[in-house]
Amino acid sequence: MTIATAVSSHSPSRRAAPAWLARPGVIAGLLLAPAILFLAIFFVLPVVNMIGFSFLTQNQQGIAVGPPSLANYVRFFEVDLYARVMRTTIEVAILTTLLASLLGYPIALVMVRGNLVVMRIVTALVLAPLLLNVVIRTYGWKVVLANGANGLVNQALMGLGLIEDPVKLLFTPIAIVIGSLHVFLPLMVLPLAAALSKIDPAVEDAARTLGASGWRTFWRVTLPLSVPGLAAGTTLVFSLTASSFVTPAILGGNIAKMLGTLVQEQILGISEWPFGAAIATVMVTIVLVINLAYVGLIEGRMGRRSRPA
Amino acid sequence: MNGRLAGLSAWVCYGVTGLTCIFIALPLAVLVAMSFSDTDYIVFPPQGFTVRWYAGVLQDPEFLHPLAYSAVLALGATIGALAFGTPAAFAVARYRFPGREVARSLLLSPLIVPVLVTGIAMLRLFTAMRSTDAGLQLLIAHIVITLPYVVRTVTVSLELADVSLEEAARTLGASRWRTFRRITVPQIAPGLAAGALFGFIISFDNYPISMWLADSRHMPLPITLYNFIARMFDPSLAAISTLMILLAAVLVIVMEKMMGLRKAIGI
Repeated sequence: MTIATAVSSHSPSRRAAPAWLARPGVIAGLLLAPAILFLAIFFVLPVVNMIGFSFLTQNQQGIAVGPPSLANYVRFFEVDLYARVMRTTIEVAILTTLLASLLGYPIALVMVRGNLVVMRIVTALVLAPLLLNVVIRTYGWKVVLANGANGLVNQALMGLGLIEDPVKLLFTPIAIVIGSLHVFLPLMVLPLAAALSKIDPAVEDAARTLGASGWRTFWRVTLPLSVPGLAAGTTLVFSLTASSFVTPAILGGNIAKMLGTLVQEQILGISEWPFGAAIATVMVTIVLVINLAYVGLIEGRMGRRSRPA
Repeated sequence: MNGRLAGLSAWVCYGVTGLTCIFIALPLAVLVAMSFSDTDYIVFPPQGFTVRWYAGVLQDPEFLHPLAYSAVLALGATIGALAFGTPAAFAVARYRFPGREVARSLLLSPLIVPVLVTGIAMLRLFTAMRSTDAGLQLLIAHIVITLPYVVRTVTVSLELADVSLEEAARTLGASRWRTFRRITVPQIAPGLAAGALFGFIISFDNYPISMWLADSRHMPLPITLYNFIARMFDPSLAAISTLMILLAAVLVIVMEKMMGLRKAIGI
């Protein structure tokens, strides 16, 4: 029951408002109007406008003109340089998401079921980096991964006698994966931990009692029950990695480029607005597709559950 | 809660978690160590011990101005997001009306579009409007990106609040506004505080939207720090980093005291 239903039974207040103004729908509309208008003007319309812009072309004077065409998209997918950036972006995002989920399960399990003191420490350690600026976190990795004999990882590898000369770590896709994993791992762990904490331990106990091994219990009981958390984490980590800027810019530099760095270079660097808008639209599309897949998965599961057995 | 970790799986989980914690702490620990190094460049292992880099950055207006600017911007964005977001969250959580789901999705929609892209779209809008007020542009942009976090946190706390108390107040003749102020607000105060804190952090740490809109007089801290990486080769930046790490640690403790970290993240 809501206020709306209580409203009819209550006596008119001192400053009686006109009846139409007191209708719940009208009040809700008035409460929503400022936020909705604000978002419509400063978010929805500009994004739609930008997508429209991606179908124009830039003339000699640097002015975007029609007629609308797919020229920018054809250029993006056909020029090898740009296609390679797209490939790097997808590969980095997939690898980061995969590593985050592999590391995420043990950590989330510790956070939910571990020793009580350890649980608190791990929660704080996993969460703390979320509150630290991404530029600082990435700068730390730049120092650690530095190429040449000054880099920490290179020093360690040479000290252990594993390599003779410093290897190239910075400005590679691997460096971006490491940095992205550091930045986005908490966003995989948190939904996983939330999903795992909702699983009734009795269900797992039942599987164990009936003779399933620990591994089999995890694989057949815990993992399927935690899929909503895994899906949420995957969606978050994949879309944020694929659309990130700071991490690829600092750790990938000009050599290992991703969509974020490419779009910045096209717009701020050489003022190629329509082409930049097209790259941005590709980014939006990737993120929307992965989000829709997530919504579809969750609704599919709910549909299956609600069906009578 | 039973179902604790035990046996081999416990060892695997603790092992992976321990290694990951080292992975998380490593780049931060390296920066802290560097910040005390008595050398004019970043070198590992650090040599000597000095606090002169701290003395330097704490007097450097190039660091202090953006720091103050980011704090003011984040405060303004948070206030704006609360002003727009609280009534909207109230409408979505307390009223049933056609288009409610659409309104809810719209309020959260800035979370779906990459922040970088939102920034591009806003830069186009402001260019088309021939606006040159970078301060106002940044404020508007930061309200857009903090709004969904405020709406989400406040909506959740409104849904958890006891509606029957509000109905009782209304039945006893309190006006809508009085009910909201005296009954609803005290109940959702922790949610408002959490929303404000999230909003502040989101704005304070944002890079990809400020990147498009900042100019030399309106320079949020993350943009400044990014520029420092390219031109600061002594341990000053490590000292700044250490100060920021301290700030993050303080925030973790504040969140733990305020609402309990584990509760805040829903486990």
